[in-house]
Amino acid sequence: MRRAGAGVNEYAARVSPERHLRWSLALVALFLAMGLWLEAMLGLRAAGWVDDPLRREFLRLGHAHGALLALLNVGLSWAQVHLATPEPWARQIRRASWLGAVLVGAGFVFGGLWHGPTDPGLAVLAVPAGALMLVAGLVATALLRAGDRAPEL
Amino acid sequence: MPLVLRQPGLWLFGPALLWLVAALLGLAWTAADSSAWGELDRRAAGLAGSQACAACHPAQVASWRASHHRTMTQPASGAAVLAPFAGESIDHLGFRATMSRDIAGRPHLRVLPLDDEGREAGPALLDVDVSLTVGSHRYQQYVARIDRGGGPGEMWRLPVAWHLGERRWIPMNAAFLEPEGQRGAADDYLRHLSRWNDNCIMCHNTEPVPGRMDRSEGTGPKGHDDLSPETAGPHWFASKVGEFGIACEACHGPAAAHLERQRSPARRLLGGAGDPSIAHPGRLSPRAESDVCGRCHGNRIAADVAAVLRAGDGFVPGAELAAHSRPIYADSRIAGSDETPFAARFWPDGTPRLSAYEYQGLLQSPCHGDGAAGGLGCNHCHDMHGERPSMQLRAGREGAAACVDCHALDPAHGGHGPAIECQGCHMPRITYGLLEGMISHRISSPDPAAWIGRHDQPDACTQCHVDRSRAWAAAQLPALGLKAGAAAGPVAASAEGQASDGAEAPEEAWASRVLLDVYGGDPVQRVLAIHALARPGVPVSPQIRRPWLVDALEDEYPAVRWFAWRALRSVAAEAPADEALVAALRAYDPHAEAAERLPVVDALRVHLGPGPLSPERRAALEERQAAVMLWIGE
Repeated sequence: MRRAGAGVNEYAARVSPERHLRWSLALVALFLAMGLWLEAMLGLRAAGWVDDPLRREFLRLGHAHGALLALLNVGLSWAQVHLATPEPWARQIRRASWLGAVLVGAGFVFGGLWHGPTDPGLAVLAVPAGALMLVAGLVATALLRAGDRAPEL
Repeated sequence: MPLVLRQPGLWLFGPALLWLVAALLGLAWTAADSSAWGELDRRAAGLAGSQACAACHPAQVASWRASHHRTMTQPASGAAVLAPFAGESIDHLGFRATMSRDIAGRPHLRVLPLDDEGREAGPALLDVDVSLTVGSHRYQQYVARIDRGGGPGEMWRLPVAWHLGERRWIPMNAAFLEPEGQRGAADDYLRHLSRWNDNCIMCHNTEPVPGRMDRSEGTGPKGHDDLSPETAGPHWFASKVGEFGIACEACHGPAAAHLERQRSPARRLLGGAGDPSIAHPGRLSPRAESDVCGRCHGNRIAADVAAVLRAGDGFVPGAELAAHSRPIYADSRIAGSDETPFAARFWPDGTPRLSAYEYQGLLQSPCHGDGAAGGLGCNHCHDMHGERPSMQLRAGREGAAACVDCHALDPAHGGHGPAIECQGCHMPRITYGLLEGMISHRISSPDPAAWIGRHDQPDACTQCHVDRSRAWAAAQLPALGLKAGAAAGPVAASAEGQASDGAEAPEEAWASRVLLDVYGGDPVQRVLAIHALARPGVPVSPQIRRPWLVDALEDEYPAVRWFAWRALRSVAAEAPADEALVAALRAYDPHAEAAERLPVVDALRVHLGPGPLSPERRAALEERQAAVMLWIGE
């Protein structure tokens, strides 16, 4: 029989500040490494890349946004420590911000990989969703104070 | 504490979830909305203009901007005007055309008659501001607003043009296959002062409406109802175009409905090929996509000429062209007449011999397969959005690459090696247009044996082997692994062994086929034979070919003289170059009067020696030449 509150603790552990920082750095590495792929395709004049401006634009957008927003998560992790953002807000903010960065980056990438004649693919719909999560997380981090009462979960 | 502050998840994930739900609902709504997917009346919805296309199709609009289609017709201002208009003049048939600019820099043309001493004399024949330019590839023509009884909206193509390759002015009369006019005859000089409103407008603009109105209906141009019956012609014009030049909607159809439909982001995201709100020639059947090109690259007769001249042809790309017009063939007749006025535009076997009949050539080709799926269409070899505007050949489909999709490439086929591409034999240069020799778009197999004894049609073999007879070419076929006597039906349609004009061809042994055409062919044969003599890779030395071209500098047709002058200049420059000949040709002007030309020709004869034929044979061939006079304008 599981102890009462164990689920909450496990959940808290999954999005601990340390884990958020590690996953954010991994995300930076992933989207930066994607830059190598894009550069190689340009160097090799890969078909479907040099001859497809829409795909090129969206893969670049995914590369740039993914890497920058992952860095933003690193900064957010630092900011939460210094601003002493109260739990469980901080936990949810870390989750939303990291997921937001993934959705924005991946939305651009997959929207560019599978696209229509003039517009990106349906995956691009994930971009505004991710952006909203990130904005909400940033606003919440900026507004919340250390002494704010923890919500009742 | 407010609910929202007690629920961080609601704050942080709520807006994103709301967005996703709204987006999915929008997509579902659009997917179920029949008006977003079904057929609609594209013509009724109207035009959008090429600027509107750039937002979604920037690459296609950029490639179109670089094309000669875009610059087919332009307002005559700025960089659109390719000629200097800096006071140049050109004399022709006793008239002097002077091209200048007014104080505002607008191009202007003034034509004055000349007296016998070559001095300007008498009132101006024309004194007009240039309004439009037509063309930008071979030569550029000019259009001015001149009311010659058709009202203030009447516009006319002017009698001089700027040749881009030679960077010189030419008389328009000399661009067509017609004999020289009479000196001092204004009617001859203005023979090709053709009305833009019901001619050029059709194939040089997007969605043209000639707007020809009958005065018998009691109407007149707005504000000009006071034109007297003496000065007013039977028609007046209220012409308009959707866009100058051949723009997006010329090939894709009116786009306003497409723009309206695709304004919805959900519709664009759901995408899918085959939106019927616009035509995509690349997704049409070979016949339908060729119809789009054939509207202009295949001269035709409208089903209702009066309706076309009033309101345009009504064709919408993607629809069947035959519903609006029929292509002109050799046996085409105009309603109410038994004559075949277009026969001279085709070779005896029915192959078009003029440009702007490419569509007919394609339709006559077995490769077209009657336009069914898998057949050859224009789009296979041509790409309107490629990188090279000239000829607009599709990348990767040049030479043999154009044929290998259907024909297994056998390096031994034809026996000529890789230097001769498929087109060299199957699409020979037997088409005349725009002062050039062009390839035929009727894809066929050469069969010189079928034409032995005839003098009325060139063949692929002797157009390259310019020093050989047709009998020689026929004898070579077995050695090359080719079948002789395999010609398709059209040859048999004419009487065997006899030219279509009834004259036999006993002179086969006198000289090569091309030389016989230079001296005895009709004007189309002459220009094409001359063109053949100057083609790169001709297997005859330039020293031998030079004397063969001199006599054509005296031809009665200015266009033939133009070909001979350019060909001889080209052959003179071939290694080993004949610098004296090159220098002498600088003194020759194919458009000058005979008194100026002939001394140069005589000097060239002295320099190059006698021609290839005895005087008697030359006279015999020229007699036949005189019997096949042609007047091929537009």
